[in-house]
Amino acid sequence: MSGAARRAPGARREAAAGLLFALPALLGLALFVLGPFLFAVAVSFTDLHLGSPLPVHFVGLRAYRRLFEDPVFLRALVNNAGFALVVVPVQTAAALALALLLDRPSRLRGLYRTLFFMPVVFPLSLVSVVWVLLYAPGPEGTVNALMHWLSLGHWRARDFLHDPALALPALMLTSVWQGLGFQMIVLLAGLQEIPAERYEAARVDGAGAWARFRHVTLPGLRNPLVFVVLITSVLAFRLFDQVRIMTHGGPDYATTTLIYEAVRAAFDRGNVARGAAISVVFFVVVLGVALVQRRLVRERRELA
Amino acid sequence: MRRTLTTGLRHAALLVSAAAFLAPVAFLVVGSFKPEGRILADAGSWRAFFPAHWTLDNYRDVFARVDFVRFLLNSLLINGAMVLSGLAVNSLAAYALARLRWAGRPFVLGLVLATLVVPFEAIAVPLFYGLSAIGWRDDWSVQVVPFVANPLSIWLFYVFFAGLPRELEEAARVDGAGVLRTFLTVVVPNARAAFATVAIVTLLFYWGMYLWPLLMTAGPHARPLPLAIATFYTLPPLRWGDILAFGTLMVAPVLLLFILFQRAFVRGVAATGIKG
Amino acid sequence: MLLAAALAVWAPPPARAHAPYALTVWFHAGQPGERRVMRAAVDAFNAEQDAARVRLVLIPEGSYNGQVQAAALAGDLPDVLEFDGPYVYNYVWEGKLIPLGGLLPKRLLRDLLPSVVRQGTYAGRLYSVAMFDSGLGLWGNRRLLERAGVRIPTDPAGAWSAAQFDRVLAALARHDRDRRVLDLKLDYPGEWLTYAFSPLIESAGGDLIDRRTGRTARGFLDGPGAVSAMRRVQSWFRRGYVDPDVRGDAFVSGRAALAWGGHWNYPRYHRALGRDLVLMPLPRFGPRLVTDSGSWNWGITTACRRPRLAARFLEFLLRPRWILAMTAANGAVPATRTALARSPLYRPGGPLRLFAVQLEEGYAEPRPRTPAYPVISSAFQQAFRAIRNGAPVRAALRRATTVIDRNLRDNDYYPPIAVVRRVPAAGGGR
Repeated sequence: MSGAARRAPGARREAAAGLLFALPALLGLALFVLGPFLFAVAVSFTDLHLGSPLPVHFVGLRAYRRLFEDPVFLRALVNNAGFALVVVPVQTAAALALALLLDRPSRLRGLYRTLFFMPVVFPLSLVSVVWVLLYAPGPEGTVNALMHWLSLGHWRARDFLHDPALALPALMLTSVWQGLGFQMIVLLAGLQEIPAERYEAARVDGAGAWARFRHVTLPGLRNPLVFVVLITSVLAFRLFDQVRIMTHGGPDYATTTLIYEAVRAAFDRGNVARGAAISVVFFVVVLGVALVQRRLVRERRELA
Repeated sequence: MRRTLTTGLRHAALLVSAAAFLAPVAFLVVGSFKPEGRILADAGSWRAFFPAHWTLDNYRDVFARVDFVRFLLNSLLINGAMVLSGLAVNSLAAYALARLRWAGRPFVLGLVLATLVVPFEAIAVPLFYGLSAIGWRDDWSVQVVPFVANPLSIWLFYVFFAGLPRELEEAARVDGAGVLRTFLTVVVPNARAAFATVAIVTLLFYWGMYLWPLLMTAGPHARPLPLAIATFYTLPPLRWGDILAFGTLMVAPVLLLFILFQRAFVRGVAATGIKG
Repeated sequence: MLLAAALAVWAPPPARAHAPYALTVWFHAGQPGERRVMRAAVDAFNAEQDAARVRLVLIPEGSYNGQVQAAALAGDLPDVLEFDGPYVYNYVWEGKLIPLGGLLPKRLLRDLLPSVVRQGTYAGRLYSVAMFDSGLGLWGNRRLLERAGVRIPTDPAGAWSAAQFDRVLAALARHDRDRRVLDLKLDYPGEWLTYAFSPLIESAGGDLIDRRTGRTARGFLDGPGAVSAMRRVQSWFRRGYVDPDVRGDAFVSGRAALAWGGHWNYPRYHRALGRDLVLMPLPRFGPRLVTDSGSWNWGITTACRRPRLAARFLEFLLRPRWILAMTAANGAVPATRTALARSPLYRPGGPLRLFAVQLEEGYAEPRPRTPAYPVISSAFQQAFRAIRNGAPVRAALRRATTVIDRNLRDNDYYPPIAVVRRVPAAGGGR
């Protein structure tokens, strides 16, 4: 009886507290995330232009139609897709390889972990500026010199950032360098969660190293791997800083990306409607990528 | 025999990889102490990492040409405010979602999940337009407030709180503590790991923020470090020594913090990944 | 004692009873020499009077227009704004600038070069002035040119014709190891492409847009003149004459004998080549040479509450002393006749005299004076990039025309509404 009496005012207090606790975050999310997104969708149906004294008109899907007729925008889509298709597997495979190498008790493990993770704390703008120097054209540039040494003298010095074929790969390398440490840490932690008995059992069953990898390691790493692949894919589509600083979308639009085009349209040229439309397309693409990955993962699980 | 070969190979692979990873960092730091003329000239040889001459000229130049201290203070202010207020706002919201019963809870939960999938870049342009239109730009607060409520942080806290045993809270409530008191005296002290993780993740993501200050700041008074180095890079004359010195100064404190607390860093980051 | 009291009573009150007006000025963060001169000018202006105190803000060049637009939206524009010449019409149409006619003394306006006045005029009123104008030409390496037996033109009348220029390129290539003899500065930020290469189209009889009506680019940017001009430019790439110049030193190191360039190249080129440096006009693609003009301009924004004070600052900047200091730092053409006469670089016999002659004798055609200019330039740049990579010329230019015409239609051909609406009350400010 005393419990029931105490519960009623307690419940009211709890309801009030719940609302109050959540209120700042609720306001923040509504005003600064949900609101702007809805605003972007709305604006993308207009001809809103920064600074224009003309009244704003509703123009329907015009912005989108023009986007998909614009070779530069389509190139940005292609660049983003190509970038993701290369960076995600390469970065993940490399991170997994390093994690496997480190998955032994060792006094040096902490040191290596620190070393590989270091680039992650570098702001991308700093990374961009340093790598501009590393990609210096001419034989004395660091990357050129390295390629020269690796190719036993057959490499001709290239200007990576101004070469339409090499610019995007150059940015890929920069991104992989910066982001790999994060993935490695996650995968390493995931590896260490796999119980040793499973490896023992597999070894007893006569499985070789490769078979152990396929049947114990990979399944055990499913969650971290899915997480890491998803995050890297989304980050790959968000590519902006390096493009703005290192290549300005060039040479000849070889490195332009969705967000770079959105900023160029809305900020540099004042075409807010076009920038908003690109932002909406960007969101749809990223959402699509995430959903497709989740679907694939679920199917794989059902197959297994 | 085979064991030592594979071990040897392992170590070799790790060493080479570590060297490859470390090389650009070493290039940055070592280069910042080299005389200007040698930086590009030495870049392709081992001299890039073991210079013949050392000098502090670049650092002197940086402080003469650029208001580095102001940019550092801006970054500290912006990120400090963001992390601290973010911890408060997001943990409270997550607790409300995880533990309390109140009207609107499913709605807010849905809102969090919905905004979780919206990358910042998708709303950068409309936010830039909207906030500029009401005159809120070119100061430190516009670089903090929009990012305080963070769905990822809320979700991290939420998962953690939901996993806490309820006995402690119930004990406190039985003793007559109100909801807030319970939260502050019982939950928070037991959630230190979550707070640390969220703080670290927030810092990692936002310390290097470049796009937003690019859109929202004009003059140098509110400019943070990542934007400052990018603008410094475009300011003629292009002196690589100065830029490398700026970069080293910029990353040194974070790097130092990281090296000191690397185990906590790494554990926190890994915890978020696995639970993901 | 009595004297002091008397003085205290009878002495005139202080000249300004109120605090100096904070005059914000935005300036592009360009060459260090330019920045130095600006800072010195600002300090001198602040020291010379106490009605206004100038606060100089350096805006990075890469996002300059974006910052201006955002500041305008936020109601945060500075009092005085510097901007790249051809953007003035766009800014005026958007209601950002006020007319300068009544604010500057007539003798100063008469002293300005006609090209500068023309650049700053829109719909019959003057909206911007400049400390300098630009010069566009062809830099040459005298030793390499003479070795190839090439005639060196030094005045606009002697400019090479298109056919002659092709022969010059071929002759230079014969003496050059990799045949790359022409530096076109393709790595410069986009606006350079329009500035540097649209004169060729105009020389050939085309144009970026129909300047008479300003309502279309069709027939002009994709007409026979433009197509033939760009085809010829494309041929230079195809024949391998153009040096990719990855390190920006093709000309100064002697690898390329010719460099398309402007006044800002002079300090560096002069240091590198000394007496071997020669300045020539661009080739003419038709009966007459056409070159470009226009550079950074100054205007007073509609956000300024003391336009007369702002105008005093502009007057100050246009004094010969400061014009000469600035043009000594960046090699540009002084914008007033007084300063021009005193400039060691530009007076008769000076090394950069050609630039002044081009401006004074009407060979310099400014870029189209329309609010649509940003879009025109962007469309042209895109076409140029495609053309330089081998795309069919007519199609690329046609695409640019379509984009431009569409933008003109979208904006109702830029009717001058803001111009009428934003004129400030007479006598505004003190």
